Amino acid sequence: MLTVKILGAGCANCKKLEAVAREAAAGAGLEAEFVKVTDMKAIMAFDLLATPGLVINDKLVSSGRIPTQAEIRQWLAA
Amino acid sequence: MSFVLQLLNGGAGNLAAYLAAHVLLCLLPAFFIAGAMAALIPKASITRWLGRTTPRHVSYPAAAAAGSLLAVCSCTIVPLFAGIYRKGAGIGPAMTFLFFAPAGNIMALAYTGSILGTEFAVARFLLCLVFGIGIGLLMALLFWRDDASHDKQTDALFANKASIGSAAIGVLLSLVALLIAGTLKLWPLTATVAVVSLPLPWAETWQATLFQWVPFDAAKGEEGVSVQGSLLIALLVLIGFTAYKGMENIVEGANRWTWIALGLAATTLLVAALRFTPHAGGLEIAFTGRVFAVGLALWAVSHYARRLNPEDWQGWLWESWRFVKQIFLLLVVGVFVVGIVRQLIQPEWIQALAGRNTLLANAVGVAFGVFMYFPTLVEVPVARMFLDLGMHPGPLLAYLMADPELSLQSILMIAAVIGRPKTFAYVGWVAVFSVTAGLLFGAWVDGVGFGWLALGMAALIAVLAVALTWLNRRQHNAIQPS
Repeated sequence: MLTVKILGAGCANCKKLEAVAREAAAGAGLEAEFVKVTDMKAIMAFDLLATPGLVINDKLVSSGRIPTQAEIRQWLAA
Repeated sequence: MSFVLQLLNGGAGNLAAYLAAHVLLCLLPAFFIAGAMAALIPKASITRWLGRTTPRHVSYPAAAAAGSLLAVCSCTIVPLFAGIYRKGAGIGPAMTFLFFAPAGNIMALAYTGSILGTEFAVARFLLCLVFGIGIGLLMALLFWRDDASHDKQTDALFANKASIGSAAIGVLLSLVALLIAGTLKLWPLTATVAVVSLPLPWAETWQATLFQWVPFDAAKGEEGVSVQGSLLIALLVLIGFTAYKGMENIVEGANRWTWIALGLAATTLLVAALRFTPHAGGLEIAFTGRVFAVGLALWAVSHYARRLNPEDWQGWLWESWRFVKQIFLLLVVGVFVVGIVRQLIQPEWIQALAGRNTLLANAVGVAFGVFMYFPTLVEVPVARMFLDLGMHPGPLLAYLMADPELSLQSILMIAAVIGRPKTFAYVGWVAVFSVTAGLLFGAWVDGVGFGWLALGMAALIAVLAVALTWLNRRQHNAIQPS
């Protein structure tokens, strides 16, 4: 079971990232639990300089941009 | 009933004026520039100058540059601010960044310039830059102990290096050229090169109908809707529709609607650069130098954009579209409301409160800025309203400096990152510096010689420099094992 965290205070990019990540997981046929992290302190616990951030199994894989579905699928499979 | 109608008319009239040609020529390129900055400038190209080990004369300007180039939206401002403060260059540059970001970014400057005039944009930029660095230095002086305790942490977050690709620089520069070609009121841009008269007998009646729909009072500084304006509004609606179909999923690739939306955007800019004059029995269209300059700049943008790799230009278009979605709607609603409110405010009130460049008037401007929270960029049309109602440019600039920096929301956010005492100190300094900025600019407008103002600024900077030397020595002594 994968845990996918979306880091972001709720701006447009965070919503977009969540939608893309959900589609990627569904497309790869993987079951994943999605957690939205909106608290600034919790977000800053990760090393990032811009939201949205994508965390898969407690590892920050991207920040400050929206990755493509293909990229996310690779990270999910890794 | 007629009163309500008058209010609504005021709103509609204000909105129509803001969708006029000269505003679109500024806003449309500005959205694309903001998108390009967000997507094409790698954050590491600037943040690497914000690490703990960077010397001060580099980190403060870099913090201002980061505010200007990277932070058009709060998604970047808050994390970057917290990152610089906790894991990077420390409280001083973090404060400079925070102060400069809302006023020094391209959208705010371009919009200020086109609505309030170039001198306001220049004053806002220069004073925010100088005072932003000043506030940062002061905060570093006041809380130097705090930075000393942070020094043991690592610099890893700021170690990445990156540079901007040549195609991306080309795109950015040609977009800036587009913005300048569209907004500068200088020969040869304003010169008429050719005039074409179209036999459109309905043009004059249409203009009459438009003035009937949106009545306006030129004496109050209001603008009506012209034939050209109505065409531009129609084009904007079309862009909105096609962009929604073409840009929502741009990250996964472009479709037919994407190209239609971009074509319409280019058309809008070209149409906005023309000059329309309806006359009896036809419509006169003047081709100004501006049309050719805008066309040339558009060609340059597409030339360089073609050399970007797909991931980059898709990111660019997505960010631009996101800014449009995030800002444009709020701006439209805000401008409408400002138009309504304007009908209710008596010019005498404003003139009595802030009609002259006094300390009290500047303080009123700042207080208003702190207690009112307007969405991004709406502070500019609000300022325009006050200017038209007779507010002195000095207090107006004080308001413009304070409003985006200080609002209840931003104060809470800063407090969450740096704690209450530092937040209060910051708020206090912003208020003091905003009042000073207003007084300086007001004095300049009133005709005080440039030499005196420069002298005042120089004295201020000298005091800061002395304080800084003192800080350096103290920090040095504190770190040295005794």
